Amino acid sequence: MIHVRDLTKTYADLRRGQFVALAGLSLDARPGQIYGLLGPNGAGKTTALRILSTVLRPTSGEATVNGYDVVTQPDLVRYQIGFVSCNTAVYDRMTAWEMVGYFGRLYGLSEELLEQRMEDIFKRLNMQEIRDVLGAKMSTGMKQKVSIARAIVHDPPVLIFDEATAGLDVLVARALLKTVAELRENGKCVIFSTHIMREAERLCDRIAIMHRGDILSEGSLPELRERHQQNDLEDMFFDLISAHEARRAEQQEKDDRDASELPIYS
Amino acid sequence: MSWSKVKLIFLREVRDQLRDRRTLFMIAVLPILLYPLMGMVFLQVSQFRREHPIRVWLLGAENLPQVPALLEGDAFAEAICPQEESRSIELTVAPKADQSIAKTDASARAQEAIENQEFDAVIYIPPNFAAELDKFHEKLTFTKPTPGEVGASDVPKPEVFANTASDKSRVAYERVDRILSRWRGAVIAKNLEARNIPLEATRPFEVVNIDIAEEGSRRIAIWSKILPFILLVWALTGAFYPAIDLCAGEKERGTLETLLSSPAQRSEIVWGKLLTVMTFSVATSLLNLVSMAGTGSFVMTQMQRMDMGGVIPLDFGPPPILPLLWLLVALLPIAALFSALSLAVAAFARSSKEGQYYLMPLLLVSLPLMLFPLMPATELDLGTAIIPVTGVMLLLRTLMEGQYWEAARYALPVVGVTALCCLLAVRWAIDQFNNESVLFRESERWDIGLWLRHLVRDRGETPTIGEAVMCGVLILMARFFAGFVAPATADFRSFAAVTLILQIALIATPALLMTIMLTSNPRKTLSLFAPRWQMLPLAILLALLLHPVAMWLSVGIHTLYPLSEDAKAQIQALTAPIAEQPLVYVLLLMAVVPAICEELAFRGFILSGLRHTGHRWMAIAGSAAFFGITHSLLQQSLSAFVLGLVIGYLTLRTGSLFPGMLYHLTHNSLAMTAASYWPDKLKSVPSWEYFVAVDDSGLYYNPYFTLLCGAAAALLLYWLHRQPYAASEEERIQTAIDHQTSLTGQRPVWRLW
Repeated sequence: MIHVRDLTKTYADLRRGQFVALAGLSLDARPGQIYGLLGPNGAGKTTALRILSTVLRPTSGEATVNGYDVVTQPDLVRYQIGFVSCNTAVYDRMTAWEMVGYFGRLYGLSEELLEQRMEDIFKRLNMQEIRDVLGAKMSTGMKQKVSIARAIVHDPPVLIFDEATAGLDVLVARALLKTVAELRENGKCVIFSTHIMREAERLCDRIAIMHRGDILSEGSLPELRERHQQNDLEDMFFDLISAHEARRAEQQEKDDRDASELPIYS
Repeated sequence: MSWSKVKLIFLREVRDQLRDRRTLFMIAVLPILLYPLMGMVFLQVSQFRREHPIRVWLLGAENLPQVPALLEGDAFAEAICPQEESRSIELTVAPKADQSIAKTDASARAQEAIENQEFDAVIYIPPNFAAELDKFHEKLTFTKPTPGEVGASDVPKPEVFANTASDKSRVAYERVDRILSRWRGAVIAKNLEARNIPLEATRPFEVVNIDIAEEGSRRIAIWSKILPFILLVWALTGAFYPAIDLCAGEKERGTLETLLSSPAQRSEIVWGKLLTVMTFSVATSLLNLVSMAGTGSFVMTQMQRMDMGGVIPLDFGPPPILPLLWLLVALLPIAALFSALSLAVAAFARSSKEGQYYLMPLLLVSLPLMLFPLMPATELDLGTAIIPVTGVMLLLRTLMEGQYWEAARYALPVVGVTALCCLLAVRWAIDQFNNESVLFRESERWDIGLWLRHLVRDRGETPTIGEAVMCGVLILMARFFAGFVAPATADFRSFAAVTLILQIALIATPALLMTIMLTSNPRKTLSLFAPRWQMLPLAILLALLLHPVAMWLSVGIHTLYPLSEDAKAQIQALTAPIAEQPLVYVLLLMAVVPAICEELAFRGFILSGLRHTGHRWMAIAGSAAFFGITHSLLQQSLSAFVLGLVIGYLTLRTGSLFPGMLYHLTHNSLAMTAASYWPDKLKSVPSWEYFVAVDDSGLYYNPYFTLLCGAAAALLLYWLHRQPYAASEEERIQTAIDHQTSLTGQRPVWRLW
């Protein structure tokens, strides 16, 4: 369903030179599965998901969503996905009902089908009381609900959640996780990025631990536990990242030493 | 692109804007309130002005003659200054005690009085004025001098002091001057009467002014200059603020990413937003126009009734209806153009605040285009019709003045140019929405040293779009300033020196330096690859075949925009010295050097940078535009632009700079020899007159022969078009994306789960 091979993304950065946000990311996610991207801030999760949602273009590599290429067929890819991130806000001067309807129509749903879908979604997500509330008057939790409704109104096969629980209180976050789990039950392919261990543990069928634009380890939770001989995800996460940082520092030192050992001719 | 989605986006954006109280206030409420308020203030202020008559101080009243009298009591005599005029003059006659003051003293006191703003104007009548006047009169009457005998020194000189830097003082001066002129008239009349000469002797004939303009058409002439200007300013302002809210505002509020990840295509988003901006632009200018015209004509009528002393033309009534209707018709293309421009600019801005900064440059760029048609004697012709904005304004004026035939002749070019500019701006806006560095630009601490280091350290194989544009701008600026420094000369040696410096130092060097410093693959940047061998003769053949076409194009351009006399003289001055030189030198200087230098810069560095846009024709047109503007004369620029298009295409298609160089070389050589060399040689060729005609100014190709050559060139270009083409990475992706969007007509394979 989602197929990513050797995806890289570099930005030109004044201070750091070419900043590598993604360094050859590869992953595969299937329908009926929640694929978790777990990583600290700046690990490249958002960049990867923005590429999947065709908002960013990769520097190299390949990514397809439901068989469509994100670089050459972006319009077709966007029909396959629902994208919810902390950067996708709701319109201030639109009510929840208008907003979801607007996106439904952009996806080309017929009025009849749209009405039916919206009634269903508003009931399921418990949004009846904010139906006619303007975006500007909503709480963060309400806004996130509208975002989810907006992302699933066209019933896409793929859903992408980028740090979707950021800024939500426990109650709303729990409800959101429940919705995501339900989506999996309906056979959706869900990509879920987070930096919160508990969420990944409870929800994800497969977890990729990301750091500095790369995947350090990937597999189902039992597989990861087995591989790293570590029961607690948080400890495992910490160990992996520390080991990676240590290797990096060692490499850096070696590079510096090589540079200084260059023969000098006088 | 699906128009139903454009409509969906349009309706949403309009509703969104209408729900914003500030926008509504700016667009609907402000114009309705603004003009009546302004009118009210204006009327108040003008009343205030009327209640403050000018203050005039008269020094030396006792030196005045009895007849004809300037004064009657403490006011000007009624015969000289009618009562309604003297009502607005507050005359203070200095008391007798002050009369004995000396002349220098008096002028010092007068100046002081004006500087201290005690008085607006001071009249000083010098001592013995009346006596001198009488003496002069007697001299005229009794000695009967011939014209040479009376000089300016014989005439007494009263003085008027005023400060023309102050408006009020200047007005006072003008009124006093009018009164004194009338008084002088009375003195003349008295002198003439004494010699029994009728007054008419001073006015041997009277000019009768007959204005054939009807009252209505004079009014139209005034309104047809004012209204289009106001309409344009409001169309731009009305477009700009919604555009910022729709682009930069959405970025700030975080809803842009939501929209971008929806299935709406970038072009649908841009068109939807463009229609919204246009709606508000039209609404703003209409409301402002109606409100201003209404208030304006009301205020004018009021002011006429109050009689503002000739400040307002008498027939400045409300604007006539028909011209207003034309205004509405012209509003649409203008609003479309400004909306597209504003949208592109706003899409570039990171935040609303940054967007606001761009309004001023946008206004500054479009203001000359708006002001140019207001200048007297600017007429609608093909030349002015194809200038954006200016053409529309002139067309509008022509329509309002009822010259429908004139307007109909130029309607097509005006609409065509406006539509082209609109589409270009829309294209630009769509590119902004595709440009991730514009969409996700984060503010970063900028440091010139770091930036320069970054340019060199992180250089790509070929230059970026920005570097290409920068190179073009650098060359243009160098060219512009060199134009002032370089001496205009008719001497071949110095002309050759200037040309060499221009070509080598100002065109080739910047491009080569930037290539070395900013790119990691100079060979690819400058397309210094060996082409397939067929391409070299092809380039020469193409240049030969297209030369007749180029000549006719140049004739057309010169008819459309005739050379100024100055430019003609300059060219003429150079023709003779060049013709005297050996042909080899001339060709070396005018054909070989430009073919190398200009190609390296324009088809080398600039074109390869612009190819990153992914649209090859845009890249070609961009590099051709720089190439064109580098030529200082407008007529040359236009020809060079077309030449640039052909060579650019040749360079991209052959993947090498050399065929373009050969084309350029051949083209320039032909151009240099067309006037001087070929006419003589051709005479020995049998039946040459079927192909070319020769006259004093050079040779002309037979039109049929030209068509034939053009057709042959088209065939060659078609063959070139069929050859394999090495597309750049961006072009490849763009083609794939375009292909994909054309498929979306039949919806993709996806079903509801």
